[in-house]
Amino acid sequence: MTNSLGDIQKSKAIIIFGANPAVNHPVGFQHFLKAQELNNSKLIVIDPRFTKTAAKADLYAQIRPGTDIPFMYGMLNIIFKNGWEDKEYVDARVFGMDKIREEAAKWTPEVVADVTGVPADTLIQITTLYAKNRPGTLIWAMGLTQHTIGTSNTRMAPILQLALGNMGRAGGGTNILRGHDNVQGATDMGCLADSLPGYYGLAAGSWKYFAKSWGVDYDYLVKQFKDASWMEKNGFSLARWWAGVQNVKSDEKIENAGTPLKALLVFGNGITSVAQQAKIKEGLDNLDMLVLADPFVNEAAILTDKKDNVFILPAATQFETSGLVVATNRSAQWRYKVVEPMYESKPDQEIMFELAKRLGFYDQYTKGMLMQETKDGKLETIPGKTNFTWPEDATNEIARIIKTIGLTGWTAERVKKHTDNWHMFDEVSGAGMGPMKGEFYGLPWPCWTKTHGGSPNLYDTSIPVSEGGMGFRNNFGLEKDGVNLLAEKGSFPKGSKIETGYPEITKENIEKVLGITLSEEEKAACGANWKVDNSGILVQKCMEAGVCPYGNAKARAIVWNFPDHIPMHREPLHSPRTDLVAKYPAYPDKANHFRVMTKYISVQSAQDYAKEFPINMVTGRLVTMNGAGIENRASKYIAALTPEMFCHIHPDLALKHGIKNGTMMWVHSPEGTKIKVKAKYSYSVLPDMVFMPFHFAGYFQGTDRTGNFPAGTKPYASGESVNTVTNYGYDIITQIPETKGGLCRIEKA
Amino acid sequence: MNSETQRALSTTVGRRSFLKMAAIAGAFGATSSFAGENVTRAATEEEVKNPFPGSKKVKTICTSCSVGCGVIAEVQNGVWVRQEVAQDHPISLGGHCCKGADMIDMVRSEVRLKYPMVKENGQWKRLSWDDALNRIANKLKELKSKDGADAVQFLGSAKMSNEQAYYFRKFAAFFGTNNTDHQARI
Repeated sequence: MTNSLGDIQKSKAIIIFGANPAVNHPVGFQHFLKAQELNNSKLIVIDPRFTKTAAKADLYAQIRPGTDIPFMYGMLNIIFKNGWEDKEYVDARVFGMDKIREEAAKWTPEVVADVTGVPADTLIQITTLYAKNRPGTLIWAMGLTQHTIGTSNTRMAPILQLALGNMGRAGGGTNILRGHDNVQGATDMGCLADSLPGYYGLAAGSWKYFAKSWGVDYDYLVKQFKDASWMEKNGFSLARWWAGVQNVKSDEKIENAGTPLKALLVFGNGITSVAQQAKIKEGLDNLDMLVLADPFVNEAAILTDKKDNVFILPAATQFETSGLVVATNRSAQWRYKVVEPMYESKPDQEIMFELAKRLGFYDQYTKGMLMQETKDGKLETIPGKTNFTWPEDATNEIARIIKTIGLTGWTAERVKKHTDNWHMFDEVSGAGMGPMKGEFYGLPWPCWTKTHGGSPNLYDTSIPVSEGGMGFRNNFGLEKDGVNLLAEKGSFPKGSKIETGYPEITKENIEKVLGITLSEEEKAACGANWKVDNSGILVQKCMEAGVCPYGNAKARAIVWNFPDHIPMHREPLHSPRTDLVAKYPAYPDKANHFRVMTKYISVQSAQDYAKEFPINMVTGRLVTMNGAGIENRASKYIAALTPEMFCHIHPDLALKHGIKNGTMMWVHSPEGTKIKVKAKYSYSVLPDMVFMPFHFAGYFQGTDRTGNFPAGTKPYASGESVNTVTNYGYDIITQIPETKGGLCRIEKA
Repeated sequence: MNSETQRALSTTVGRRSFLKMAAIAGAFGATSSFAGENVTRAATEEEVKNPFPGSKKVKTICTSCSVGCGVIAEVQNGVWVRQEVAQDHPISLGGHCCKGADMIDMVRSEVRLKYPMVKENGQWKRLSWDDALNRIANKLKELKSKDGADAVQFLGSAKMSNEQAYYFRKFAAFFGTNNTDHQARI
C-alpha cells in the first residue's frame, strides 16, 4: 500500500480491482464510505462478482476473471486518445510509457468488450469518471494477484496510475489491501523462499551482510547448507512444496539439492487454504515427519492419512505474547500481551528457541539480539549484556539491520509510544498532535532514522524527505538503451539540495552527488552503500541534504528482466474462451521455478477444458472468517453465523442442472477432483459462474474427515475446502496459485 | 455442525420455553428461602461501577486482518474478561467487525490445543513438550546429516509478529535451507 486507509478519504475517485473491502476489511471500508460522503468521491468497482462493495459503487463492471490487463489497457486507450494523461509527470518520472501507448492502441473499447465481457459503454463511462476525478486511488487484493499473470496485473495497475499522475500523491497511489494482520510485516521480514529479511535477496553479498550482522562467520552459515550455491537459490514455496515430497507422483522435475522433501514444519499456516488440496494431501501422506504448531489443530492433520510422526504443538495465540505488527499501510503497531499463554501453549519464538538449543545453534541464532552498532561503523556485543529480552531486543536487532525499506527508526520504544498514544493522531493524514507532532501514526516505512517521523505516502515529492517525501527508487541502473533512468530535471522531493534525478547513495558517490566532503573518520566508518552502512552516516548526510538514500529515479513501465517486458494479456490456463487462447497464449513452461518445473502452455493447450468444464469458478472470503478459517470456526458465535460450506450459484444455472436452493451439489474440477457443497442461490454471480468461500476444511471429496480431530479439538463448523477443486496454475514470477480464474463442472448431488 | 450444537447456539427463546424457564425460576425462588436471608451480600461501591474490580485495560491490536484495528482488552486476575472497541484509534475509529469483536472468544475457545500430541499407529497421544521437542529435533538432525537440510520444508505465518517472522526466517538460515515460505507470495 503506497498510501493509507485514512488517505483514501482524500481521494476524488476510488477504483477497486478484485477486492471486496466491505466484507474483507469492513472496518477499513469506513474510510472509503467517508470519502464518498465527505469528499464526494466516486467509487468504481471491477469484479466478476456483484459484491457488497460493488453495491456501494457509482459504477460497476462485471468483468470476466483474469482479464484485468485488457480492461486497464482499454482505459489507457481512452485516456491517451483524449489526451487525459499527465504528460509532464510521465516525461519527468516514468520510463517506457511509449511502449504502453503502443499496446494500448490495440485495445479499443470493442476489443476490450469482447475479451472482458464489459460493454464498451461501461468502459468509457468508468474511464471518464476516473480520469476526470483526480487524485484517484487504485485498490486491489487477491482478485488481481492470484493468476498466472498476477505479476503483470500488479504492474499494470501502477502503470495506469502513473499515466494519470496519481502515484506519489495524497489521495492517489496503489493501495493493496493485505489479507492477514501481519502479511506486510512477515513479508518484510523475509519469511520467503526467495529472500533474506528486508528484501535483501539471496546473493552472496546479502548473506555476508547478514552473517556479519548476526555476529557469525559467513563460512559458518555456508557449512549449514549443502554448499554456497544452494544459499543463493530460491527454496520451495508455499504453493508447490508438495511437489518435492518423496514418492509424490509427478512428471515435473525437482531441483532440491539432490534430495526430496521428507519433513514439514508448519507454524501458523492454514495450508488447507492453498490450491491443489489433493496433491497437498499426497505430499503430507508421504512425509517422514509432519510438525504443526498452532493454537488450534492445523487441518493438515485431519487431511492426511499419515499414521505416525504427526506432531501437533499448542502454539500460543498472538494475544499471549507481544511484538510489532505492520498494518496494510506499512505502519507499525505494538501488539501488547493480554494474558499469559493458556494451557500448555508456548509462543512461537519459544518453540523455535527450544528446537535451536537441541539442534546446537541457539547461541549463534540469538546473538544478534545482544549486539549494537558503534559510531565507527563496527558491530560489537553490548558491553555486559548476556541475556536478551523478548521481543524488544529482537525488534531492535531488526531496526539495526534492515535498511533497504528504512526500518532504522522502528525501535521498540518508539513503536510502543505510538500505540500508547494512538489517540494523538489524525485519522486522515496520520499526523501526530501534541507530544507526537512531527511523526505519522505507526512510523510508516521508510522511517530512515531514529528521529524520522515515517513516510505516509510513498513517492510523494511534494514534501521533504525528512517529512516522508521521496521520488522513485533507483534500483536498475542509470540508463537503459540510451534513455535516462533517473528523474528529469525539476522532479525532486521538496527542499532537496539536488534539483534533478540522482542515483542511490554509495560511499563511492556520496561526495560527488551531494557536493560534500567526508572526513577521514567518516570515510573509514561508512559501509559500501546506504543498505549496508552500519555507521548510518550515509543516510544521515542524505537527510541533511533533503535527499532520499535510495536515489531519485523514474518508475519503470518496461521491466526488461521479466518474461513480458510490458504487461501482456494471457488467458488463464483453464480459459472459458478457447477461441482467445491462440491469440493470448500462456507462458512457456518454466523449469526450476522455486525448485519445481511449473507448467503453463502445456496445460493450457492440453485440451479444450471449456467443453467439459464450462463454468467459471471464483473463490473468496466471508466477513465471518479469514484465511483457512480454523480460528473463526473454533468460535461458537462466529461458527453459528456461517455454519456450513456453500456455493453461490445463479438460479438460472442451478435450474438447468436441477439444483434447488439449499440442496447439495457436486463441483468437479479439470484435475479430476470434486467437492460436495450446499447450493445457495445468488444474483451476485452471472449464470456462467459460481463463487465459493475458501475458509472451510475437514471434508474431502465428499468424505467427512472430522473424526480425525483429537478429542475436544473439533471446530464448531467444518466443510469441503474449495481448494480441492481450484485449478492448476501459478504465477510466472511469484508462483502464487491461480485461484481467481479457473473452470468447473457442476451436477446435482 | 451437528444439531446439538445448533440448539446450543440458538439465540431465540420461544414463548413456551420462556414460560418453562420462568416456572423453574419461580420454583427455585420458593425453595431457596431455607438458605437464609443474606445469601446475596451487598455489592461494594467499586463492584457497582465495575463488575471486574481490580481489572486492567490493555491496548492491543486485532489479529484478524491487515487493517490493524485497536482492541481494548480487560484483564482480571490473569483472565481476559471483557473486550471493548477503541473509540480513539486512528484507523478503526471505534469499529470492529464480527471477527474482531470475537478475539476474546478465539483466545478462550474450548477447542484450543491444550498440550502437545503425536499420532502413533493412527492414534493421537499426549506427550510432554520435552519429549515432543526432543523427538522432532532428533529427526531434523538425522535428516540434515543423511539427506541434507534441504530435505526439510518450513512454512511460517503472516499471523506472526515481525520478531517471530524474522526469527522464523533466521531459523531456516541457521538450519541450512531456503525451503521456507509463508502465505504472501505476491
